[in-house]
Amino acid sequence: MLLSRFMKRLNHDLSARKSGKSIVLANSCALDRIINSGGIIPFSLDLSTHPQSAASTSSVLLGFESTMYHNSSQKKFWTFDKEEHLDKLRLEANQKFCTKASSSGKTGINESMLLNQWEEKVLLRHYEKRLLDFSNMFKPAMPKSVVGTAFMYFRRFYLNNSLMEYHPRIIMLTCAYLSCKVDEFNVSCTQFVGNLQESPAAQERALEQILEYELLLIQQLNFHLVIHNPYRPLEGFLIDLKTRYPLLENPEVLRKSAEDFLNRAAMTDAGLLFSPSLIALTAVLNGAARAGLKMEAYLTECMGLKGDKEALSKMYDSMRRITSLVKAYELPKIEEVNVGKQKMESIHAEFASNLKRKHGYEDDEHVVKRQMVTEEEWTDEDLDEL
Amino acid sequence: MNLSLKRDAFPRLTCARCESCVDMLFVRGSGNCVQCNTPLRKSNFRVQLFEDPAIDKEVEIRKKVLKIYNKREFDFPTLKEYNDYLEQMEDIVYNLTNNSDVEKTKQMMEQYQRENRDVIQRNKVKLTREQEELEEILLLEQQNIEQRRLETLQEEQRQLQAKRKNKQALLDELESSQLPAALLLAKHKDRASQLETQIEKQKQNVKPTNIFSTGIMMGQTVSLAPVTRVEEVLYVYQPIHIDTYGPPIPELEQLGRLGYLNHVRTASLQDQAGGYTSGLACHRAVQDAFSGLFL
Repeated sequence: MLLSRFMKRLNHDLSARKSGKSIVLANSCALDRIINSGGIIPFSLDLSTHPQSAASTSSVLLGFESTMYHNSSQKKFWTFDKEEHLDKLRLEANQKFCTKASSSGKTGINESMLLNQWEEKVLLRHYEKRLLDFSNMFKPAMPKSVVGTAFMYFRRFYLNNSLMEYHPRIIMLTCAYLSCKVDEFNVSCTQFVGNLQESPAAQERALEQILEYELLLIQQLNFHLVIHNPYRPLEGFLIDLKTRYPLLENPEVLRKSAEDFLNRAAMTDAGLLFSPSLIALTAVLNGAARAGLKMEAYLTECMGLKGDKEALSKMYDSMRRITSLVKAYELPKIEEVNVGKQKMESIHAEFASNLKRKHGYEDDEHVVKRQMVTEEEWTDEDLDEL
Repeated sequence: MNLSLKRDAFPRLTCARCESCVDMLFVRGSGNCVQCNTPLRKSNFRVQLFEDPAIDKEVEIRKKVLKIYNKREFDFPTLKEYNDYLEQMEDIVYNLTNNSDVEKTKQMMEQYQRENRDVIQRNKVKLTREQEELEEILLLEQQNIEQRRLETLQEEQRQLQAKRKNKQALLDELESSQLPAALLLAKHKDRASQLETQIEKQKQNVKPTNIFSTGIMMGQTVSLAPVTRVEEVLYVYQPIHIDTYGPPIPELEQLGRLGYLNHVRTASLQDQAGGYTSGLACHRAVQDAFSGLFL
């Protein structure tokens, strides 16, 4: 019920949306603004179809629940225990598309044409980097939390979808666009596509695509739009260190290295595996270790873990995993990317005609189907000029 | 001859006439007084109700004045103002009745009428509406009375008929029966008394009115027993407990005392105008830092 209503409203807004944010999201943002200014006033931006979540939304509006990570949809639905779990989901998505492709009856489809899981991973990395570059170039400057949210959207989307089905170029931009809305970074859609270094016509086309994919993205995120980024927890830890841990003379020296760590962590699956607070704490401890500062006492004294050996070792273990994830990150090799890209483009060209129209809301009768612009007019090369 | 007297409603003269004289004198609607030759109008003549013509005159005047001075108590903010208003009205009536300061008083009335035209019109409409309602009620009552009267009449007629029939039956029997007359007479007496008691009985339970004048049905028992109290389990507040999966978070109120607020930007006056305090941001950051840390 919630889903269909949401869809209808979004559809209804579609024509009006060119000028800026959709009404639905603008409303949610207004509510979220209250939260941001209030801090403790609870609200969840999650527009979940999950009955429990729907119920909690109403109770949340009555002020019974907090907006914190511990009762968020992120913890409930989007934090996984093992990396293998993530790999499994991605493999499933990949295989789902492969079966679909082979059963489509197209001639000339064979295994070697399709991307395998590893190739998909390489391409995903590549487009994440592109997303990072895009956000770094963005004018006005994008806040870190907006970038972090966009990354999480992108990652969550391709957890259950194959790159072969939806082109990462457009999904990437849609993620950034949506996160601007949700995280209250107010840019109009024309301003947004104005950041693409392209002709006005190409920008217009990109915008149309973004608006077209936006709903699909929201749907694929299962309407869980609130992302808890580790940036605020980092601030919290710095405040707490200054207040309760006088052994550290100037915690501000840790800020730079910790922020770097968080930026790099955003490029990994850490956000899907660990709580944002733990990632932030790892960043702090990592920075301290680099500066040669001792922080163990902070954990045992201030966090109250002195007697709890088990929790402490569990935490150390998690932090080690985060650190190794971040350390293991490396940019994909350019040759591999090019090979994968070629494959992907050919697949998209092959399936463009019959897969393109499968975008959730277009099934809805309210939408007048408009002619799709040929996607290839706007290619990666345009983006590379950034 | 119709003896009811008629008199000029605003008499400058005190001549009274019987109704037929008035009819005759003013065939054309107006004419001069036969006694003092003052020009008069027929329509101004009224039936004299009171013995003292001055009272009649006052009643007439009062009627006219009340048409203009038709405000009611709730049109005034205080009782005193209402009383002043009533007094002013009485003064006018007195002046007009006793022919003192007539011109001035009339002027005053006209001025008042001009100034309060809206209120007067509104009250007039209201009064007519109330009047209509009242009349309706009266009509209904009258109808009820009429109906009851008819009913009793019918009843009496029926009884009378029954008695007559009884008598006729006796005569018939006396005529045709072989039984001794005394026996028949006794039988008749018995029957008559029976009829009598029957009538008596009927009279007693003459259709009881089933409604009080207040509109409450008679049979209806108005329960005077206290309303039965519904006992509910009282709500007991239980503080919400949220597991944050992390170290305990200091309360918002204690942040300042614990020294947290020394390390955040102080809220500017403009920020505080909207209800923001630096504690809010600080508390949220610390909450976010500790939430889910031990997962």
